[in-house]
Amino acid sequence: MIMGLEFLARVRKTSTWLGGVLALMAATYVSPLLGLAFAAGGVWSLVNLQVLEKLVVSVMGPARTTPEGIRGAGFSLMGMLLLLAVGALLLSLLSPMALLLGFLLPLAVIVLKAASQVLLGSRLWTGIVNHRFRAALAAVAIAALTWFALGALTSATASNEPAKSHAAGAAAESGAGAHAAEGEHAAPEGEHAAEGGEHSEGGGHGFTNIVALIAGAGHGTPWAAFLEHYEILVFSMLVAALMLLVAFLAGRNAKMIPSGLQNLVETLVEGLQDFIIGILGPKHGPRFLPFLGTLFLYILAMNLFGLIPFMHSATANLNVTVALALTVFVYVQFIGFKELGPLGWADHMLGSPRDLTGWLLAPLMLPIHMLGELAKPISLSCRLFGNIFGEDMLLVAFASLGIAMLPFQQVPFGVPMQAIFYPLVLLGGFLQAMVFTVLSTIYILLMLPHEHHDEHGHGEAAHHAH
Amino acid sequence: MDMHAALALGLPLGIGVAAIGSGIGLGLIGQGAMQAIGRQPEATAKIQLAMIIIAALAEALTIYAFVTMFLLQGKI
Repeated sequence: MIMGLEFLARVRKTSTWLGGVLALMAATYVSPLLGLAFAAGGVWSLVNLQVLEKLVVSVMGPARTTPEGIRGAGFSLMGMLLLLAVGALLLSLLSPMALLLGFLLPLAVIVLKAASQVLLGSRLWTGIVNHRFRAALAAVAIAALTWFALGALTSATASNEPAKSHAAGAAAESGAGAHAAEGEHAAPEGEHAAEGGEHSEGGGHGFTNIVALIAGAGHGTPWAAFLEHYEILVFSMLVAALMLLVAFLAGRNAKMIPSGLQNLVETLVEGLQDFIIGILGPKHGPRFLPFLGTLFLYILAMNLFGLIPFMHSATANLNVTVALALTVFVYVQFIGFKELGPLGWADHMLGSPRDLTGWLLAPLMLPIHMLGELAKPISLSCRLFGNIFGEDMLLVAFASLGIAMLPFQQVPFGVPMQAIFYPLVLLGGFLQAMVFTVLSTIYILLMLPHEHHDEHGHGEAAHHAH
Repeated sequence: MDMHAALALGLPLGIGVAAIGSGIGLGLIGQGAMQAIGRQPEATAKIQLAMIIIAALAEALTIYAFVTMFLLQGKI
């Protein structure tokens, strides 16, 4: 009995993972509704198995005569009835074929698991495995069989259902537009649908993301058009909401001796504080810490967000980076006005002339300073955009390479060639967030009154006196 | 040579030329920073910070070429 329950638990785990991956693949390559139906069928089947298990345990188990056992059996029966009603509703709403496939998935997993257990215990299997060369031969034979079976299967589906592949292509590249078709020099439609990697990326212009999928599901409706248009906005807002949530959770009941999330966030904030005060000095540092620290964490989160499957880096879009850089630009000019005063600001723009040479050079310095100030947001935004976008493109290019390495191109997966670049992308995302923050800090520093270094030394002396 | 061919030839070439300059610059920055760290290991943090900032400035030039390529890519 215990053995059987443990087996069922393993079946549940395997089916959940397998069903989730298959449903996501179906949602990406065929149509989102079909994936939903498949997932619903799988969930229904799993819940059904669970309720059945409860029923069998309460009826056959040792607690069957106690009131709890009887109540459990009653609840299970009620649950079954409810489940049947839900099943009928699902059948009327979603595609019955996909529902059936999803429903059959856990059963298939049970059969396969049982078959493999029988096979693993058999004399034939131990005979093969115990001999080294025979085992190698068997492994090669299995690999070759899988290879040909997959090839045959995929070419069959590709020739049978061009319409389906077309739908998949449309769903996968709804954000990419018509460019993808031109970029994939004369690739047939079927091949196009298979243009996906480990986390099912779409056509030529980046990985498929969840917002594009949702927008593809409701193609033609106003909200889908909105999502398609403001996809980047959705992601940047999502990141901001996540950061708000983390900050809220970390600060909810702050303790003197932190633990868990509060510990992590405090480490981050203290590191940032040390870093920024190290540049700006103890007088000005704490004032600008909230702005600069938020900038760093927000950009870092957005950069790394694109590495999560079905997500997208908002910073891989020029609009977002220009907005960030403009914020910094306006803030820096505002600080200049506030700290130096209008006259001081004009003096700064003229290159702080103090003697005759300075005044003579002032007409030359003014345009240079103006151009320099205007170049700052351009270089900030283009650098961030170019780096993050370039990294994304690198991953996409190598994911496509991994797919092209397989001889049959209709499968929605490939060799994960892009995995070698994950460390580089992680490092790059961190570095670019840091560079953006450091440069913003330096711009602020340049706008502050110049006698700041004396204050720095003074502050440090005061610090040592403590 | 029509415009499309010129763009298709020139855009990657432009990135390459920009990368040569950036590469030389990055190499010099790295060389200077490594020498400075070797002479004064206790100032590593400060030197690294300055190195990263200057490296970002040097690297930005290639990025500009890269961005230009993506801006003009649709015209090929």
